[in-house]
Amino acid sequence: MTKQRYLRRFSRAVRWRLPPREAAEAIADYREMVYQEGREESRLVEELGEPVQSAHLLTDVRAYRRWLAVFGVLAFGLFLLAKWCFTGRSSIYLVYYDPWWYPVWVLAVGLALSLYWFRRHGQKNGPLSKRLVLALAVVLIAGCGVMYGIWDVTGAVIYEQVSEHRSGLIEQVRLVITAMMYVGTLSAAAALAGLVLAKCNDRRWLALYILGVTVAAMIGFVTFNFKGMNLDYPPVELMRVYLFARLIPIGAAGLIGTGVALC
Amino acid sequence: MLKKDLLELCLLQLLDGGDKYGYEVLTPLRSAFPDTQESAIYALLRGLGKAGFTSWYMAPSGGGPDRKYYKLTPAGRDRLEELRSDWRNMRDAITSFGVE
Repeated sequence: MTKQRYLRRFSRAVRWRLPPREAAEAIADYREMVYQEGREESRLVEELGEPVQSAHLLTDVRAYRRWLAVFGVLAFGLFLLAKWCFTGRSSIYLVYYDPWWYPVWVLAVGLALSLYWFRRHGQKNGPLSKRLVLALAVVLIAGCGVMYGIWDVTGAVIYEQVSEHRSGLIEQVRLVITAMMYVGTLSAAAALAGLVLAKCNDRRWLALYILGVTVAAMIGFVTFNFKGMNLDYPPVELMRVYLFARLIPIGAAGLIGTGVALC
Repeated sequence: MLKKDLLELCLLQLLDGGDKYGYEVLTPLRSAFPDTQESAIYALLRGLGKAGFTSWYMAPSGGGPDRKYYKLTPAGRDRLEELRSDWRNMRDAITSFGVE
């Protein structure tokens, strides 16, 4: 293993396990040790140990377990959102609650827990990354595109025509539903990447998690509503009003959370 | 006394002789305990820092970049005394069995 590779693997492992300041200190110390004069690459692992094992030795087990618990909750929420967006089905049934609110609960828990954790334990690292800005722009544009599509297909005229099975309009609805499936799932995946990068790189990557989880939750909310609607039962023209009266505050909460994560 | 305590004793004893940077601490300890990896010794060194037995400061090295020097704190000196006493007791106990 080369010195560079050793240090890269050690840095990754230690950033995942340790609080940011401690991780930075350990990486600086290991850089000194690895590049010490006379240190042979061939004996690096023998003398210093495997990078992950070295990181493990420095880990505060209780703090690491707390982080794993937080990560587990947030990642499970993302898994549920991706599943709901892709399949439109939930295996959770609560008698007193409509399933379309489930994604909003996941968003609320994710927003509160992630902001609390990273404002407390995270750390900024240099200027704002261009890759983060690009990723945010992609997720935002994809989310807005899907919301526009939903607005378009939830008009009263479209409903009447879809219920009469006019093929061109059914195709439009099918396209929007397909976009919802993929954008929702990919937003959840982007959110997971944001979460990992927020821990290992810079806490401002949390903005990607929050924006991704917001888009996925909004799409999940609409997906469950679409699954539960009855086209024969009037007044379907109220669907757009009903949906967007709820989507706008959900989206606004997500955007505010994204802004807070960037500060 | 466990091996970890012996390592800790040797590490604190080294620092008692004067402030040292990482390599000056790790090399003699690794020579004395060849089956112990430097990562374990480094983890112990960090643990002592967290416990308040050692502290560190950056100082220029001859021509190269600044180095991190470790030094013993008053709490570290107390801990060293405690470990020395444990070591003497253990040595006496072992000697009483005829082990030289």
